[in-house]
Amino acid sequence: MRDWTRRHVLSAGAAMGAGLALGIRPLAAQGADEIVLGGSIPLTGVFAFAGIGIHAGIQDYLKIVNDAGGVEGRKVKYVAEDTGYKVDASVAAFNKITSQEKVSLYYGDSTGFSKTINPELERRGSILMAGASFASELNDPKKYPLQFMAGPDYSEMFGILLRYIANEKAGAKLAFVYSDTEFGRDPIGPSEALAKTLGLEVVEKIVTPPGSVDVSTEVLKLRRARPDFTIFHGYVLAPIPEFITQAKQMGLASRFMGTFWSMDNSTVERMGEAADGFMGVMPYRYYYDTEGESPMLEKIRQMRPEYQSTAYLQGFVTALLMCEAAKRTLAAGKELTGANLKAGLNSIKDFDTGGLFGVPISIPGNSVPVGRIYAFDGKAKQMKPASDWIRLEA
Amino acid sequence: MRIGTLKTDYAADEALFDTRLQKLLILLACAAAVLFPFVASPYWLFLACLCAINVASATGLNILTGYTGLVSLGQAAFMSVGAYTVAVLEIHAGTPFLLNLLVGGLLTALVGIGVGIPSLRVKGLYLAIATIAASVVLHFVFAHWPLTGGMQGLSMPPARLFGLALDQPFQLYWLILPVTALMVLGAANLFRTRVGRAFIAIRDRDISAEVLGIPLLRYKLMSFAVSSFYAGLAGGLWAYFFRVVTPESFPLVNSIFYLAAIIVGGMGTILGGILGAVFMTMVPELLKFVAGLVTPFYPDALALLAPVRTIVFGALIVGFLIFEPHGLAEIWRRIRRFFHLWPFRT
Repeated sequence: MRDWTRRHVLSAGAAMGAGLALGIRPLAAQGADEIVLGGSIPLTGVFAFAGIGIHAGIQDYLKIVNDAGGVEGRKVKYVAEDTGYKVDASVAAFNKITSQEKVSLYYGDSTGFSKTINPELERRGSILMAGASFASELNDPKKYPLQFMAGPDYSEMFGILLRYIANEKAGAKLAFVYSDTEFGRDPIGPSEALAKTLGLEVVEKIVTPPGSVDVSTEVLKLRRARPDFTIFHGYVLAPIPEFITQAKQMGLASRFMGTFWSMDNSTVERMGEAADGFMGVMPYRYYYDTEGESPMLEKIRQMRPEYQSTAYLQGFVTALLMCEAAKRTLAAGKELTGANLKAGLNSIKDFDTGGLFGVPISIPGNSVPVGRIYAFDGKAKQMKPASDWIRLEA
Repeated sequence: MRIGTLKTDYAADEALFDTRLQKLLILLACAAAVLFPFVASPYWLFLACLCAINVASATGLNILTGYTGLVSLGQAAFMSVGAYTVAVLEIHAGTPFLLNLLVGGLLTALVGIGVGIPSLRVKGLYLAIATIAASVVLHFVFAHWPLTGGMQGLSMPPARLFGLALDQPFQLYWLILPVTALMVLGAANLFRTRVGRAFIAIRDRDISAEVLGIPLLRYKLMSFAVSSFYAGLAGGLWAYFFRVVTPESFPLVNSIFYLAAIIVGGMGTILGGILGAVFMTMVPELLKFVAGLVTPFYPDALALLAPVRTIVFGALIVGFLIFEPHGLAEIWRRIRRFFHLWPFRT
């Protein structure tokens, strides 16, 4: 037998260390039949408020699935990396996870990442991806055949809001207030056209830097335009409260509305007095919603007795739809490839999500064009339903 | 141990690498760089390419800020000019990628000269603000010009070489690393010429430099041009690497990243730009590894340690600035000096 000197041990150790560091190793300990859900999750950075919820939501749903025996008997393993909401870090995380695991499902954190990784997704052809972005651009099955979003895209969110407004007040005057970002500008063009066809008039469009604080001149513009409804998009919180407070002080009678990422109950609550009456579009039921039957919400409430954000629900629903796609693919006796998974997802028709969406859903393309208008009730300190579920025709 | 500086001609005295050991180390590094793609996973190749792009851009900024003393917060905006130029050329003209990169660099150099004009009148923080203003203008142009695809930006096809698409980190490595190496070598050589020394003279005392016969405007603009050329090339490489360029791809915070990289690495040294860029790119990733090691013992360490990691990264930067204001390059130099006299003096 070879005598092991200290030098031998050190060099073997160094070689092993280098090997591990460089990733020269077989695919990490992965059960042969495990399905891997990878994730570029923004646990730090500007989107961390949502990323932490998304992370927990995905984990909780997978726990429910795995405790119940997995997807068609196969456990689902979740492997995530923090990205700080930066595209380069997200791509690095994707490369890291996919070189260590055989990934079939992936959660991406931003529109930029979804666009950047798309050619690679198509090249690999083995992954179905969804994420935090509801960008209208991604809702194109031809350009993004292996991606989807667990809700309506931003234009569809506006579509739901505009249909509600057209029902409430024919010929209403609208103002769009949006941030000067890709996120902010996303639905504005198509929504203007839609407003026209619904007989609504867009009287003002205000674009602000994201997170701007001093909005007094913009509020003056809004006052001059005297809209019946003001829709904010491309913000999470600031400057929505400033806008509403100043506009109310000036006696503006407009109703104020938002889209998904500004609709979390705790976020709206933080608007203080400005929150009362704030409305917006939500594709999912809120954590505390007890109306109707929602066994999934019951389960969530059992697992986590304290309030869970809309971001949590988004992560949860995304994982649910991914697993459903995998289940349908495996049940049809097909391999878990990107195209098969997407076909499995698109076969979802009038599907009950355990009450997370208020109505049965279908996913004919890349989005789930369903939503409902909620309005903040200042007394109950909760977003309460203000309309029925609105389903856009595909 | 080195016992003396025994040089018999000026060429030896001016040599970029002056000891045999140094040459050997460079050769070893080159060999390692050639072997690396064959043993590393795509993740490490991705990081290597990202480091190389950041090194190229940081070296450019080092020429302007570290060597010429002109503070710029426009490096990311300059990169965006290069990236957009390459993307537009690749999409609309379909010209060879090396030509696209070169055109991207040259166009950025022109833009850099334009932005650098105020540098004759303003210095220090004032110049930094002027470069921020230029970044805002460039961002506005890219976000509103139909040619650059507005807010959605441009998605471009991969670079092609003899029909082979360079769309994987493995293939791009062979483009990005050599280009970066050439750029770094060029920068190192620049400071052995009259132009480079003029830059240093301007940094040390611009009035004295003018008295010595250095036309300030010409040399300051030249520094802006060279630095922007580097940024443009780095931006072009970035575009080929990610293949999606949007107005949000190069935010102001990236300019701060490059400035931080050369400060942490050591301003006014070529090695500083390299070490700083690698440090700033790799440390957050390595910290993730440390967090990953804890995961088996502590469930969901990823989420719990995420904020800690950010704080540690910040603390490391502050620590370096306090304990070694001359940057990582100075630490490296100290290590070298130690071995010069080892084992006689430790």
